[in-house]
Amino acid sequence: MPLDYRRFNGPEDSVSYKQFSTNFTRSYDELFKGLFDENGKRIDGREFTEARPLYTKTNVISQAKGSAYVELKNTKVVCSVFDPREIVGHQNEYSIYGQIYCEVKFAPFSCPRRRRGLAPDTDERALSANFKTAIQTAIQSTKFRNFQMDVFVYILEHDGACLAAAINAACLALTDAVVPMMDIFSARTAAVINNQIFVDPTEAEENLALMPTDNETNHGIITLTVIDHLRNITDLQQIGSIDADCLIKVIDILLEECAKLMPLFKDLIIDNVFEQYKEHQVYLSIKKQVNEELSNKVKEWTLIVKDK
Amino acid sequence: MPGPELLSSQGLRLDGRRPDELRRIRCKLGVFTQPDGSAYLEQGNTKVLAAVYGPHQAAKSKLSTEGVVVNCQYSMATFSTSERKNRPRGDRKSQEMSLHLRQALSAAIKTELYPRSQIDIYVEVLQADGGAYCASVNAATLALIDAGVPLKAYACACTSSVAWRGNHPEALLDVGHVEEAAGGVCLTVAALPSVDSIALLEMSHRLHMDYFEVVMSRAMQGCKDIEIILDKAVREHLAEGWTKPDVITI
Amino acid sequence: MAGMLLSNAERFYIWDGVEENFRSDGRSNKDYRPMELETDVVSSASGSARLRLANTDVLVCVKTEIDTPKSDKPGLGSIEFFVDCSANATPEFEGRGGEQLANRISNLLQRAYHSSQAFNLKQLCIFEGKQCWKLYVDILILECGGNLCDAVSLAVKAALFNTRIPFVKAALMDGGNIDLQLSDDPFDSKRLEVGTAPLLVTLCRMDEENIVDPTAEEETCIAVSIVVGVSGNPALYTSSEDTTPSDHKCTTISMSGNGGILPDAMKIVIAEGITAAKCLDEALGRTLLQERNRTNLQKKDSYGFLK
Repeated sequence: MPLDYRRFNGPEDSVSYKQFSTNFTRSYDELFKGLFDENGKRIDGREFTEARPLYTKTNVISQAKGSAYVELKNTKVVCSVFDPREIVGHQNEYSIYGQIYCEVKFAPFSCPRRRRGLAPDTDERALSANFKTAIQTAIQSTKFRNFQMDVFVYILEHDGACLAAAINAACLALTDAVVPMMDIFSARTAAVINNQIFVDPTEAEENLALMPTDNETNHGIITLTVIDHLRNITDLQQIGSIDADCLIKVIDILLEECAKLMPLFKDLIIDNVFEQYKEHQVYLSIKKQVNEELSNKVKEWTLIVKDK
Repeated sequence: MPGPELLSSQGLRLDGRRPDELRRIRCKLGVFTQPDGSAYLEQGNTKVLAAVYGPHQAAKSKLSTEGVVVNCQYSMATFSTSERKNRPRGDRKSQEMSLHLRQALSAAIKTELYPRSQIDIYVEVLQADGGAYCASVNAATLALIDAGVPLKAYACACTSSVAWRGNHPEALLDVGHVEEAAGGVCLTVAALPSVDSIALLEMSHRLHMDYFEVVMSRAMQGCKDIEIILDKAVREHLAEGWTKPDVITI
Repeated sequence: MAGMLLSNAERFYIWDGVEENFRSDGRSNKDYRPMELETDVVSSASGSARLRLANTDVLVCVKTEIDTPKSDKPGLGSIEFFVDCSANATPEFEGRGGEQLANRISNLLQRAYHSSQAFNLKQLCIFEGKQCWKLYVDILILECGGNLCDAVSLAVKAALFNTRIPFVKAALMDGGNIDLQLSDDPFDSKRLEVGTAPLLVTLCRMDEENIVDPTAEEETCIAVSIVVGVSGNPALYTSSEDTTPSDHKCTTISMSGNGGILPDAMKIVIAEGITAAKCLDEALGRTLLQERNRTNLQKKDSYGFLK
């Protein structure tokens, strides 16, 4: 709806009310103290190195070849994978590798800051690029030469660690779409604030980790993706300012956390296979039944024809 | 009509030049190793880099059996002007400049020698202080020579404007940014001086027919002067260039 | 770079050389190619630098603009990176062809400069909540000969070191608006504190070896490369003694390419990245101080591209 600016009688110069809210006026140290209680537990009751429980479900989008939904408490992500399609148009050279196209989008209602527009903004483009490096190693792209496969991620709600959630969802969606892969992979995020490591941070923790500080302590966010049994790091993204010792500590913790996700994914995948097997059995029995009925009918009819 | 302040009472221009004087031209051929030919040219504070790739097989959409396709791209660095530009290329002005470059350079290149091929000429303006187009043409000519592309003649470009000394018109050669911004006539000529032909002629603002000849001949004189400078640079480059081995990669 | 075609024999030659710690141009795996750096090359910018690393050529200019700070960060200025891949480097960059690479590099820089320990935006504040400086760092890539990230980060730091910001002479308060009067004298200006600005180091993993500063040919043979951004040491960038040296910390890590790396190897890569950045930082600081001292004594002749 077009706005009529002439009827807006506010002052020319204004200051956002947020600058006077308690959260804004609090100092860095106060904000940091507010993230955990005196027992050393975070405000949502977790330990510092404890990740949020992960809920996941596959095959949620019927139009896609494979899809998955991943929920880390308030971070909710949907990933869908579409069939490979032939590359057409400008790029007419034959390529021995399949192409993977990745797009990460935030839903307009995903975070307090309203996002708009269909065109991806800078955040989304950077996120898509990181997401692509993380997942492309695991995919055997030589199996669909000269074809392009589309992977879309839609972030329904953003409460920290959305890249990790997106990568986990992609792993499950790709297996759901039976894309040839080296192995399954998983990702985890950690934030470092005032030298304290927060595994699987919420948005409040992420914000503080990236806030400008006056002190010399470590701060930042690290996301790590690892392929399961090869133990290969396929992607490591860091931002902030962290010294080498702390970085290595975080990497070790994240590797452990990633490994914890693997049995979960495997169970889910095995369950899916069982379910599909059962479905297939049901389908086979129905098929058998229908065939029998048909052949019975044919017999009846041939008898009728003969009688005449 | 431009103000009289373009010429002082002694007959000197704002930057101290005489009306028929060019700005200092300094140039160098072969600044880069990757392109087939490259050149750097500065004309006062206007600084331009040009690179030439080709002739190579033409893209299918551009292919012509008549002669070589000259593909030009003019782009201005975001920091080239005093006010920062948001986009280096793709805007209307640089697209127009690309077309003008193509016009001037196709006239100089012996296009009939390479049917079904393409020559890419990329011009990057690092600093614009008036006459960016002229500097681009001159730099591109040098880059073409560095690439060994056969030319009919040097393509040189020059601008000229007009100032008034009392009622007497005085043509100004090689217009700088300040003079350009003063809002006077600006005549841009791209010519092949050695064969006495004009490849491109463009003029902004209004000028009485009676004075056109004065302005035009001054611009042509400028082109001839530039040709001498370019020719000297090419000869110097060739004299030293052959003794220097190319950079060997692997 | 995508345009380069290498045969298998050429690839194996590069791989075997790396294994022997003796690369095709005679360097060891941990050597950089020679670099040329010149600051103050573009007079229309507040600060500029041109860096040539063998065949890689980048020109970086810094322009300043007055801006209003964001409401949630009233005391901070801002810095923005814009990368333009000139078609001079390769015809593939014509039109919008270089945009992907440009975005990747500008993203990397934006992330590396994000932390306040890497680049303090407080020094860009003019009047808290009302006015601040906005730095536009424009990077023009003129030739690609491999290892763009490292070259760009070095040139950016040099250009920021070279940047002068005019002093504010007077400020007039007129109701809520502020009218600034800036000093016209180009020498009446302050320099930025850029000692901590990060440098990017690209480490490429080849079999069991890590190499720095890959050439364009080597880049085509690499499965995975890791870019490590490491903050600098401010003591190296000033001639006065009173600045406290600070640790080199990682400000960004990013991986690219189609491949993985083992955790232990990753730790080595990070350690090597920090060591390499330390050496680069020292060399850059020394060079920049030298040039500044020389230009203080006599007016400099700008070589630019004429050398």
